[in-house]
Amino acid sequence: MSLKDISTSVPKKDHSGKVSGQLPYISDVKVENMVYGVLVRSQVAYGKIISIQLPNLPEGYEAVGAEDIPGPNFVKIIKEDQPIFANEWVNYIGEPILMLVGKDLNILYSLLKEVKVIIEEHQAIYTLDEAIKQKSAAGVIMASYEFGESLETVSAIEQGAHQIIEEEYDTGYQEHVYLEPQGMLAIYKDDEIEVQGSMQCLYYIKNALLSALACGDDEVRVVQSPTGGGFGGKEEFPSMMACHVAVAARAVKKSVMLVFDRSEDMVVTTKRHPAKLNYRTALDKVGNILSLSVEIFLDGGANVGLSSVVLQRALINSAGVYKIPHFHAKGYVLKTNTVPNGAFRGFGAPQSFAGIESHLGHLSKLANIEPLEYKRKYLVKQGDPTITKGIFRDPILVEDMIEDLLKTSEYKKKKQEFQRFNQQNLRYKKGIGTSLFLHGCGFTGSGERDHIKATVKLVKSKDGIVMLKISNSDMGQGILTTLCKIVAKELDLPYEDVLYPYPDTKVVPDSGPTVASRTTMIVGKLLERAAKKLKAQWQSGVDQEVVEHYVHREMIPWDEKTFTGDAYPAYSWGVNFVELEVDTLTGNVKLEKVYGNYEVGKVIDDRIMKGQIDGGLAQGLAYGYLEKMTSKQGKIQQKSISDYGPPTSLDVVPIESKVFDNPYADGPYGAKGAGELTLIGGAPAVQAAIEDALHTTFQQIPITPEVIIESLWMKEGEEG
Amino acid sequence: MVEKMTATYRFDRLEQTLSQLNREDCLIMAGGTDIMVLHKSGRGVPLKLPKPLIFIDHLSELKQVFQNHKDIHIGACCTYSELLEHPLIPVSLKNAIKTIAAPAIRNRGTLGGNICNASPAGDTLPLLYVYNAKLLLRSVTGDRIVEISDFIQGPRRVQRYQNEILAEIILPSVLEEGAYVVFEKVGNRNADAIAKVGFAGYIRINEARIEDVRFAFGAVGPTMVRSIDIERKLVGKTIPLADADIVQVVAGFDKIIRPIDDQRSTATYRKTVALNLLRYFLSMKQYQAN
Repeated sequence: MSLKDISTSVPKKDHSGKVSGQLPYISDVKVENMVYGVLVRSQVAYGKIISIQLPNLPEGYEAVGAEDIPGPNFVKIIKEDQPIFANEWVNYIGEPILMLVGKDLNILYSLLKEVKVIIEEHQAIYTLDEAIKQKSAAGVIMASYEFGESLETVSAIEQGAHQIIEEEYDTGYQEHVYLEPQGMLAIYKDDEIEVQGSMQCLYYIKNALLSALACGDDEVRVVQSPTGGGFGGKEEFPSMMACHVAVAARAVKKSVMLVFDRSEDMVVTTKRHPAKLNYRTALDKVGNILSLSVEIFLDGGANVGLSSVVLQRALINSAGVYKIPHFHAKGYVLKTNTVPNGAFRGFGAPQSFAGIESHLGHLSKLANIEPLEYKRKYLVKQGDPTITKGIFRDPILVEDMIEDLLKTSEYKKKKQEFQRFNQQNLRYKKGIGTSLFLHGCGFTGSGERDHIKATVKLVKSKDGIVMLKISNSDMGQGILTTLCKIVAKELDLPYEDVLYPYPDTKVVPDSGPTVASRTTMIVGKLLERAAKKLKAQWQSGVDQEVVEHYVHREMIPWDEKTFTGDAYPAYSWGVNFVELEVDTLTGNVKLEKVYGNYEVGKVIDDRIMKGQIDGGLAQGLAYGYLEKMTSKQGKIQQKSISDYGPPTSLDVVPIESKVFDNPYADGPYGAKGAGELTLIGGAPAVQAAIEDALHTTFQQIPITPEVIIESLWMKEGEEG
Repeated sequence: MVEKMTATYRFDRLEQTLSQLNREDCLIMAGGTDIMVLHKSGRGVPLKLPKPLIFIDHLSELKQVFQNHKDIHIGACCTYSELLEHPLIPVSLKNAIKTIAAPAIRNRGTLGGNICNASPAGDTLPLLYVYNAKLLLRSVTGDRIVEISDFIQGPRRVQRYQNEILAEIILPSVLEEGAYVVFEKVGNRNADAIAKVGFAGYIRINEARIEDVRFAFGAVGPTMVRSIDIERKLVGKTIPLADADIVQVVAGFDKIIRPIDDQRSTATYRKTVALNLLRYFLSMKQYQAN
């Protein structure tokens, strides 16, 4: 197969293995001399471990804990605050204390019940609101940043303003619900521990293992297994599991398998940070924005993990796609004694976009201007500064994308139709809502240049087969296919002659983690360059290798201290329209039409892009009204998929989408990031549509039926 | 540590099954969609069953649907999918069945299982209550018939003797003309959801006068909530009902519906929605028989 237009879809490389059910995931793997591991977890949210009593362990059963860790007892992520096995203090319910290993899971489960951990309980912080109240106490603020217009200027503007509007906005947990729960296997060999599993970031895991095992570079090896979904949930969390199995394998000299079932996975793995966003906006007489200050609080959970970086992205996106005069922002990650929160598709941006879209929607009502019209007045244009004093360099097509959707959806006509419908129907109310959003592609700031320093390699065999040697994971998003397409096209080779085996750190260089919508744009570009180089030196009948390193595009340098400069090299853009119907008796929301227009530079594979749009948007819509996770006294309440409630095929309607071409010079064939963007607009559009249907406002997501019924009840009370 | 294998039985005939049940207390497995979940014992470990298991899902004696005068008899082991296809099954019951889980579960799950599982949120139960369903229980000593509301006594508690099998669900006089039946399931999503509130309403009108009216609520108490007293007060009234009558009925149920907070919803929500659905049903201007 040779490719004319890169966007034309091809069969995915992993298609037949997945469709036939033949592809083995980590829990399908069995190796010789393998035992299972189960984790003894804290039942207390915050406390000091006094003693641990183990039952008599039958032969072949052993306990592994902190004393078995050759290196320091923390999972290497950013800060050293996350123990591999908690041995002094426990900071959340579910925190791993020990691992029991042995052949039979049945026996392990009964032994688990007999382990007695005595913990001296201390007063825990269970909620973000409690943490905000105790913000000044030691250790509660885990990260904070502040930037933008000086507060003196803002308060001078506020003095002269017609009115000041303050709004508080809350966002909830979101659970990844990857199809395949987390799983990790350490294969024991005398001179090497090989860790296999479901993962997004091979070298994060390798670095965590080098630290935990205090060993040489060639004594650990990380191999990705076929990965059934990640969504960020397999970014940093697998590093901890990898440490567990590797430490255990080293201690018992056997291969150790650790796989979670769904309920364990839902209760102990990272989630999207619940957030509180406070807006304070000065308006003139006709409702124009004079200044806007935002304050963001993220619930970090018990360890900081990646939360500081999540906060950075939340802050950088806190003004949405708007050029707001006199903008000021600050934000905090606060510690609570709950399960640590972490990476999740969008990485802080979904909270910020839900908040700012909601706030601007509400301001438009005050100004008595149609919401979309009001937002368009503030839309950024090419050449405008970003809120961090960077620049939007490339052409921005959002206006065209809006115009297109206004036509396609017959927006004005629909609004009138809905108004008539709502007057006649007492039970059901229809509404239409919109959202405008962007996503900064790649790592925040100078991460690519300073931390990641990606390297890619292409290896060509004598018979002309080319293999990709990179450390990125296909987790369902399709990079086995898209990256091969890029290389095949550049080399003029049939797509079938380019291979991308599951990566193994023994043979692949560090091309960076599979996160931040960076893979296609950054790694794809490096591969495109490597392929060009290989083509130039191509010799038939011989083995050849080429290597490429990341080159930074000079922009306005990012300074994390002052929070200024170009936060991202490029931005992808999106517009969503949502039409829905609310049942005022039950508060249930039924989606009727969902539209998405996107601009991601250039699409590398149409069908894969459609997969990202449909999946991302479904996940984003659900974040706004359907998926609900709560924590009570430090315990996650929803332990099954049905109780948590991600959308089924009966909840989502066919999504009408279009992608606009706008090639980006530093992306392969012009491609930018696409994976996270598609989630971001869902929740704010759903909120706006529900508000439109009910003529009311909400200050939170998810807007569940419970929230709607309460709001209708309050409204009824007001109207007497 | 070798665990004793759980005994399992799968007889060809109902008769043999009943004999075995008469000899030994067994866990009865129809579709297994509840039992498999209830006795889950961790990843990678087989089910732990407290009793021997006896399969009845294949017994043809328990899979018949037939008409007897104006009654419909439904074999307890008919799967939901089979009932959806059957011409004798009332549309309202089919509509209720369509809200249950998803096709794979509906291919296994049975109406008898939904009753014997006696979940407070059992999807078909509100409807079976307003149909005044009767249950035919069979054992080696013979048959007996009980009202569904007597059979179900509490969460996962039914009045079944060890040697009995629920053989048939009887919907009495369901083929009588003129009843309007409504079923509403409120879940957190449109498939694979456990009900937060269930409501069934039944009304039969003769020249604008109410001849018979029944209501049942699910997932708002340990068992379905129904009140014959409240229902009786409406008999003889004319449609559309006066506001005062509606207020009185709603107030009556307001007193007896006492839901709980849990991981799926709140007590306030459940009660508000239950009463909303009731009020809506009572406020209809006309009721077209279905």
